[in-house]
Amino acid sequence: MYVQLLDLACGALLLTAVLVLWRRELTVIIRMFALQGAALAVLVGVLAAQENSAELWAVAVGVFALRAVVLPYLLRRALAGAGESRRETRPLVNVSASLLAAAVLTLLAYAVSQPLVELAPSAATQAIPVGITVVLIGFFVLVTRRRALSQLVGFLLMDNGITAVGFLATTGVGLVVELGVSLDVLLAVLVLQVLTTRMRETFGDTDLDELRELRD
Amino acid sequence: MNLAATGMAAAVAIAVLTALLAVVVRTRTSVVGVGTALTGVAAVVAGAAALAGGSFSVVLPGVLPLSGVSLTLDPLGGLFVAVTGGVAVAAGIYSMSYADTPDLRARGVRVALPLFVVAMVLVPAAANVGTLLVCWELMALTSLVLVVAEHRRGPQVASAGRWYAVMTHLGFVSVLIGLMLFVAHTGDDSFAAMREAGRHLSPAVAGVVFVATLVGFASKAGIVPLHAWLPRAHPEAPSHVSALMSAAMVNLGVYGLVRVGVDLLGGGAAWWWLLVLALGAVSAVYGILQAAMSSDLKRLLGQSTTENMGLVLIGVGAAGLFASSGDRALAALALTAALVHVVGHAAFKTVLFLAAGSVLHATGSRDLDALGGLRPVMPVTTAAFGVGALAASALPPGTAFVSEWLLLQALIHGLPAGGVAAAIAMPVAVAAVALTAGLAVATFVKAFGVGFLAKPRSEAVAGAHESPFTMLAAMGIAAVVCVVLALWPAGILPAVQAAAGGVAVSGDVTLRLNQATGALSPLLLTLGLVAAVAVVAAVMRAAVARRVRREARLWDCGGGPMSARMEYTATSFAEPLQRVFDDVVQPELDVDVSHHEESRYLVQAVEYRRKVPDRIERRLYQPVLSVITAWGRAGRGLAPGSVHRYLGYGFYAVCGVLLLLAVTR
Repeated sequence: MYVQLLDLACGALLLTAVLVLWRRELTVIIRMFALQGAALAVLVGVLAAQENSAELWAVAVGVFALRAVVLPYLLRRALAGAGESRRETRPLVNVSASLLAAAVLTLLAYAVSQPLVELAPSAATQAIPVGITVVLIGFFVLVTRRRALSQLVGFLLMDNGITAVGFLATTGVGLVVELGVSLDVLLAVLVLQVLTTRMRETFGDTDLDELRELRD
Repeated sequence: MNLAATGMAAAVAIAVLTALLAVVVRTRTSVVGVGTALTGVAAVVAGAAALAGGSFSVVLPGVLPLSGVSLTLDPLGGLFVAVTGGVAVAAGIYSMSYADTPDLRARGVRVALPLFVVAMVLVPAAANVGTLLVCWELMALTSLVLVVAEHRRGPQVASAGRWYAVMTHLGFVSVLIGLMLFVAHTGDDSFAAMREAGRHLSPAVAGVVFVATLVGFASKAGIVPLHAWLPRAHPEAPSHVSALMSAAMVNLGVYGLVRVGVDLLGGGAAWWWLLVLALGAVSAVYGILQAAMSSDLKRLLGQSTTENMGLVLIGVGAAGLFASSGDRALAALALTAALVHVVGHAAFKTVLFLAAGSVLHATGSRDLDALGGLRPVMPVTTAAFGVGALAASALPPGTAFVSEWLLLQALIHGLPAGGVAAAIAMPVAVAAVALTAGLAVATFVKAFGVGFLAKPRSEAVAGAHESPFTMLAAMGIAAVVCVVLALWPAGILPAVQAAAGGVAVSGDVTLRLNQATGALSPLLLTLGLVAAVAVVAAVMRAAVARRVRREARLWDCGGGPMSARMEYTATSFAEPLQRVFDDVVQPELDVDVSHHEESRYLVQAVEYRRKVPDRIERRLYQPVLSVITAWGRAGRGLAPGSVHRYLGYGFYAVCGVLLLLAVTR
């Protein structure tokens, strides 16, 4: 039961990450991100039930509140001011190629995390490659998407992946550390939201490739 | 705890306290000056005690990670500590009023001054590689802060700072590589262990260590291919800092060379020392030639530092060469000459830079072509610069004469000592020293005569005033030391002998060599000179008194009274020399003649521009700099400004590393 639930949660993580790559509507991308936050919270909840730890339950609730409710809300608010530019129209790598890249990245993550899994084989550690895949897909989104909001989602995807790897490898890195990381992410999103708004006010667009003149 | 240890502890304590005072409670400039001077006094005491035989050793393992701090003051280190301390006394007193300007009152600059002095005092006392390198780096960093202290004056200060920072750190890297290689073969980084193991290093390893450290130490001493920073940084630094750098810091390059080459590596092959000798000879001649062409007073002094360090290196190289052929007594004589020159150079370069600073303070100009006529308005500064110029110009009642004469004696007597190499090298070295001495006289006659005598050449000079008392006092102290060193060199000879004897070049050093030409007393010589001058003056006066005197204007071709424009300028004074050495210096000349409209035969104005670029610098540094620039320009292609491109670099790097891990595991 525990293993199945854990795998289900991890599968949801991976699936939502791939869906973020697939869909172009920014509203859908944000919804996928919220779903992923919920999957992450479920993952932590499963671990908490297994470990029977109240602290981990608290973390699960916190993760849900932050990643499935607060951050998607902030992103949606940023999008509301965006007007018509609600689609990721011209990604640097098209969608089908992105999906193929995601497959390659998954393979890479599995190949790389073998030594980690071999250190202490268990149901949780065997799911580590999923976390690493999410990190790599998040990075891929950062590299290939033009809209500031998709970049933000990519960044948060990476963070979700890192958190997932943390929980899977160590069953919780401690409440204080998790709290600190969460606050960090929240602050980063708030700042980036402000910056996105400013960018739109200045350039009328949030295409990051317009920012070429900022070097030197 | 003996006197040397007490002195060192006091020097460090006073310097740190002064720096703390400067940073915590914004004290007056004079407090920092006094603190620096007191640091210098403590260092002189420590150095003198070490020279008198009271060496000490202390190990503080907890202060630095890995190697710990280990200090030992032996006679060789003591000599350099004492010299540094002496310069610091004068510079500290001088800075009490000189450094009272908005730029020099900045907190960072005030903190850096005592720390710079204490770093220079600690370098010769370091007894392991870690301590030496940390103090060396502290010295470089604090002096860099001081060099760029007056950065508001113009972009050339920042440029000088950049040159200095790059060159000094490349030198540091070179020393680091050499010493690390050395330590890798000995297994212990204390000098005592390295001294033991240094004798048994294979010649190839020892050679690499020596050349690597030589490059680093030579760049600090301003030796020729690596001198490019010196004529930039020394003029742009505030004058008391120029004095500290030029009279004390460059010496530490010589210290490092003697410490590593002679002491730790125990002599080594003859080719090492021929290399040092050659570098020294080239530096001496090239440095003074550049100085002779220069019309910037402080730049001239900086280039003269290259010359003097070259002379010192000739002495060190000759000492090593004699030692490698087994002639201990001659080696000790050559090393003594080199160390006496270090002491003398420190004294007269302090006077000269402080006097140049006083001129700069009063007139705001360092351009010799714009100075002149300072004698009536700045008598004390003029007298001090005169003493310094005499001391620098290798003539009998001068400080440099003593050491250069000793050096010449060592080189001449070394002729039969070595093999073929020495037989070729020694006469060439003698010629180089002689040429250097001659050019030095011309250079300092130019600096003193054009800069201080005759009529003022600009408005700023005409309105000059004498400097405040503390600046005069500092110049006075240094000038008195110069005179003492010139007239009574035997006074410091025991100390220098102790230092030279302490580094494995054993043997008695006496001024009296076997041949009759070898014995000479500077004091008697000076007395004779003074007596001769007095006799000539008396005869002249007696002869003149018989005739009827008539006052008349100087003959001026009927062109009206002589004006300042009819005087020799620094440029015109150097013109004959420039003609003689045309092929070496390759000056860039530019003569513009404009004629009157009415007649092509009447000249309206002649404009003459001369620039003497540093040829070695242009040939050696420009290609390297242009390659680096081209490289940088090519690198800009990697940074087009696209955020996605930058993120992509990170992404591909991460994926590449992961792939590598997956494949190689």
